[in-house]
Amino acid sequence: MAIEIRQLHPSFVGEVSGVDITRPLGRADVAAIEGGMDRYAVLVFRDQRLTDEQQLAFSRNFGELEFTRGTGISKPGELRLDPAFADVSNLDTNNRPLARDNRRRLYSLGNRLWHSDSSFKAIPATYSLLSGRIVSEKGGETEFADMRSAYDALDVATKAQIEDLVCEHSLLYSRELLGFDLTAEERATMQPVRQRLVRAHPASGRKSLYLASHIGSIIGWPMPEARAFIRDLMEHATQPQFVYAHKWRPWDLVMWDNRQTMHRVRRYDESKPRDMRRTTVGGTEMTVAQAA
Amino acid sequence: MSMSIRPVHPVFVGEVSGVDISQPLTSDQVAAVEAGMDRYAVLAFRDQPLTDEQQLEFSRNFGELEVTLAGQMAKPEDRRLGDRLELGDISNLTARNQIRERDDRSRMYALANRLWHSDASFRAIGAGYTLLHGRVIPGVGGNTEFADMRAAYDALDDATKAEVESLVTEHSIVFSREQIGFADYAPGNEDRLRPVQHPLVITHPVSGRKSLYLSSHIGGIVGWPVPEARAFMRDLMEHATQRQFVYSHAWRVNDLVMWDNRTVMHRARRFNDLKEVRDLRRTSIKGTGLMVQHAQAAE
Repeated sequence: MAIEIRQLHPSFVGEVSGVDITRPLGRADVAAIEGGMDRYAVLVFRDQRLTDEQQLAFSRNFGELEFTRGTGISKPGELRLDPAFADVSNLDTNNRPLARDNRRRLYSLGNRLWHSDSSFKAIPATYSLLSGRIVSEKGGETEFADMRSAYDALDVATKAQIEDLVCEHSLLYSRELLGFDLTAEERATMQPVRQRLVRAHPASGRKSLYLASHIGSIIGWPMPEARAFIRDLMEHATQPQFVYAHKWRPWDLVMWDNRQTMHRVRRYDESKPRDMRRTTVGGTEMTVAQAA
Repeated sequence: MSMSIRPVHPVFVGEVSGVDISQPLTSDQVAAVEAGMDRYAVLAFRDQPLTDEQQLEFSRNFGELEVTLAGQMAKPEDRRLGDRLELGDISNLTARNQIRERDDRSRMYALANRLWHSDASFRAIGAGYTLLHGRVIPGVGGNTEFADMRAAYDALDDATKAEVESLVTEHSIVFSREQIGFADYAPGNEDRLRPVQHPLVITHPVSGRKSLYLSSHIGGIVGWPVPEARAFMRDLMEHATQRQFVYSHAWRVNDLVMWDNRTVMHRARRFNDLKEVRDLRRTSIKGTGLMVQHAQAAE
């Protein structure tokens, strides 16, 4: 049975059928999925009952995996999953929902802001793969925004204005927006990195806006002007026509290209378990040279 | 010729004709404008050349004038419009009428007007009406957008309406400026920066309609962890500023636009402020304080 992809949104997102990703993939299947990612930027696989090992093996088809960044928010012993996973659940190590004022919970609320995974790393991520193990019945959708269409829809003057802009990204900035108090030690792990605002996809050549709530400034701009401008761009880029909302079913795996999309999670009932496990494929190059 | 109001948006905003607001108004005319505000929340008057004095005079028909926070916090020599603190300077000009430099502190402070807000919600008693008069308008951009907080409230689902009904929010000028990385306040302004509390849902005293009292000045919800409050506020702001609730006012010289801060939010859009002049003058009417009693009742 060959891989087939059915488009779910007018500009992006494909639903993949005809492949069992719990099993080792042939070279042709991997190439078909990569081709689908180049084109659709987000792929949805339904009914894939993955173990952690199988998710890791499937993810490694697409490159080396990123490890969860050591910010110190989660202490050793608080990790529920292997460090190759980002634990996108609301659960403690006993699989119970985190308390309302739990610091890890408050930190993770940053995922409700539009972002691109690991844009705060000098070499940012390519794909993220998120497996829904226990999903929310109400809310908890993951929304994706197509940054290629958002770029295409800019007027000519704005395209010219932003072509060579370089932004500074840091977890500091996204957490500041939510008023999350970071310790000096945590802040020290979050030095801003530089990223181009406009990037071209290596396979398709299509340009996209490289936006994220992790952006705190534009090189050469006064900070308030940069922030106001980035807010305008974010609003433009997340208009309904660019957005797909993924309603989770158990055992969905959704993978997306962080170079071409932003995403965020919507609010859900946190008194009930939501167990989502993310693997992340590391990139191989910077979008722009870092400050010396 | 009698006054008439033509709706210019499906849910709010009226354009008023048949009145010269540079002249003293009769009590019937004032009542007609107030009734229009109760219904439309935003009224636009076209082709009304006004002096500062005439704008102040027209504004006083609707209550006592507020002094502006930016005016209070500015040094006297930095105030372009002199010592009349009731006249807000919504321009990109220095005290010497020159376009502000890119890193001018007043420019940085004013950039937060590009965030959705309700005027003076950072005060214990927020503003009632605001009146904005266009003197010099840029060729491109610089619209003022309004969002109808009554329609936004009505469109919430029942569960959210129940959830927000008794919430009390904390507002400060610090919170809105923080979001764009501005925190440069002169010493001695501590009292003006301290957060105040308002109910999230307020009821209009005349129409009885409920509305969301939202503003980028909000930084917390009483009893909620701060990050959870902020994330929730962002969701509500996004809901409340969807296209169907928004009117964008493209300015012409001598437009006067007035709005009710208890029923709408507004924001300015970007323009080329390093090259073009935009000069608007603002007056605001003090609120009535009904909202505060409501807040205390909710505690």
